[in-house]
Amino acid sequence: MTSKNLSLNGIFKQFGNVRALDNFNLEVGVGELVALLGPSGCGKTTALRVVAGLEHQDSGKVLVGNQDISNIPAHKRNMGMVFQAYSLFPNLTVEENVAFGLQMRKISKPLRLKKAHQLLDLVGLDSQSKRFTHQLSGGQQQRVALARALAFEPEILLLDEPLSALDAQVRVNLREEIRRLQLSLGTTTLFVTHDQEEAMAISDRVGVMNQGVLEQIDTPDILYNKPASSFVAGFVGTMNKIPAFINDGFVEIFGEKVVALKQGNETGKVLALIRPEAIKVSTTGSKFNAKVLTRSFMGASSNVICQTSDGTIVQSLMTSAATGDLHPGSEVQLQILSKEVLVTNV
Amino acid sequence: MAKAMKLRQQFPLVITLLLLTLFVFIPMISAFEYSIRTPLEGGYGWTHYLWAIREEEFFHYIFRSGWLAGVTVLITLIILVPTMTWLHVSKSPVRPVIDGISLLPLVIPVVAFAVGAQISFPEFVQNTVFELPFLYFVLSLPYAYRSLDIGLNSIPLKTITEAARSSGANWIKTISTVIIPVIRSSVMATIALTFALSIGEYTLTVLLHWDTFPTWVTYVAQDNILGAIAISMMSLIIPFLILTTITLFIPERSIQGRK
Repeated sequence: MTSKNLSLNGIFKQFGNVRALDNFNLEVGVGELVALLGPSGCGKTTALRVVAGLEHQDSGKVLVGNQDISNIPAHKRNMGMVFQAYSLFPNLTVEENVAFGLQMRKISKPLRLKKAHQLLDLVGLDSQSKRFTHQLSGGQQQRVALARALAFEPEILLLDEPLSALDAQVRVNLREEIRRLQLSLGTTTLFVTHDQEEAMAISDRVGVMNQGVLEQIDTPDILYNKPASSFVAGFVGTMNKIPAFINDGFVEIFGEKVVALKQGNETGKVLALIRPEAIKVSTTGSKFNAKVLTRSFMGASSNVICQTSDGTIVQSLMTSAATGDLHPGSEVQLQILSKEVLVTNV
Repeated sequence: MAKAMKLRQQFPLVITLLLLTLFVFIPMISAFEYSIRTPLEGGYGWTHYLWAIREEEFFHYIFRSGWLAGVTVLITLIILVPTMTWLHVSKSPVRPVIDGISLLPLVIPVVAFAVGAQISFPEFVQNTVFELPFLYFVLSLPYAYRSLDIGLNSIPLKTITEAARSSGANWIKTISTVIIPVIRSSVMATIALTFALSIGEYTLTVLLHWDTFPTWVTYVAQDNILGAIAISMMSLIIPFLILTTITLFIPERSIQGRK
């Protein structure tokens, strides 16, 4: 079966008094990997479960390949799903787990075992096929879960925080592997995570959710560089929020006038949103306007935290070579490198 | 040194187990010894056992009690497994209430049950022996419920259920191919408890005027106490042999050790 596109149209879902999804709309193209990112309780998991048929929306439609599947039960939806953890069947061996979906589709035993071995080979676990799942590590278990979700060639692959229970190193390896498999099989994928690095690393597009609403959905680059709202700006990557004064479309930051990216023509106090890499800290300037609080060495780059004379804490990310002479207490000059900045109301 | 420490720590446990064993086995061994006495000839012999298996009624009643218990087990599993799975998966607020209700058969006198059944069951049910399995089901409910509850609590039921459903299994398939095999030991315990309670149930059966194996043994005991004991011994040994055979022939699949 080939992959299909997925669309969610005007989904509402309420749990008691909490509105988990509020007129939620999403389009995922054929073979695309879209991540839903957001703080806990933002509705991202609910959206995924509505797609899987494990929750039923109060209103709105779920379409797969332009066919309305809103009233089709979960087991008939043909969607592979990978859960956070502990989703493997402990009574079955690794190969039986992977073949389970095919068994439910009444595929003959030799055929389904052949397919299971193909998938296990793809995730590098064919040698473990006769073992029971509790004999595997957490990372291996999630690989088996991935193989199981893909074995019956689902129209859509759903990933519900599949990496969150794993160690950092395993997490990075496995996410690359998920992306590699997803690209080679061309499976339309919806990936739910609260880890922005994970979402940005492997997705074609990332949707940032807040309180049941999709705030912005874009490629990781656009999301990072042109966040549509201050929530997105604050949630994706690190963002300095520096008090400034806006006048005639310009803000003054560290004594420099910069173009303010904001609708309207207002005047008054605002917060300028500036990425740490857009701030330069130097000891050679003419007018010192801040003091270094800490410098954290992270290999190629270093994180420098400064406090301006008016008390604002500012974070800067620079190459380690350029921060060698910065020590706690050093008098420094802060400079803004970008010519335009996002601003938001205080 | 460490070994001595370990022994000392285990000493109370050993004593308790020993006492328990004596408590259970001394009466059984005594009963067995008594049942192979031959008072007329003196000494020991299998007279009463041979007498019992020559009695047509012995097999008639043991078979009847056997299938009644079997039907009770089926009713228990068919009603309880899906219901309890649903209670656990849905995190329903009624679950504590049902937990409480499942204990009621322990506190309601059997007489009340019998009278209740006579009043509430329709005539055509009262007229067949099939009314017994339903009542046996109620009597064994506290034990069956608890045993399944432990099994369902010990596994990540919600995730496993959802994984099965998203893999294409409907509810029946999910329960039969995933949940029951995963909580196999707890299902086996439920089967054993329900079977044992049903096959030995006496009070309710007598009150409802049915004849089963336990009522027949009591009847026999009125004029042949040695024969009745021989029959009882066999009723212990036969199910034991059957259960052992079943356990030996079902391959054990390791499901423990989940992290």
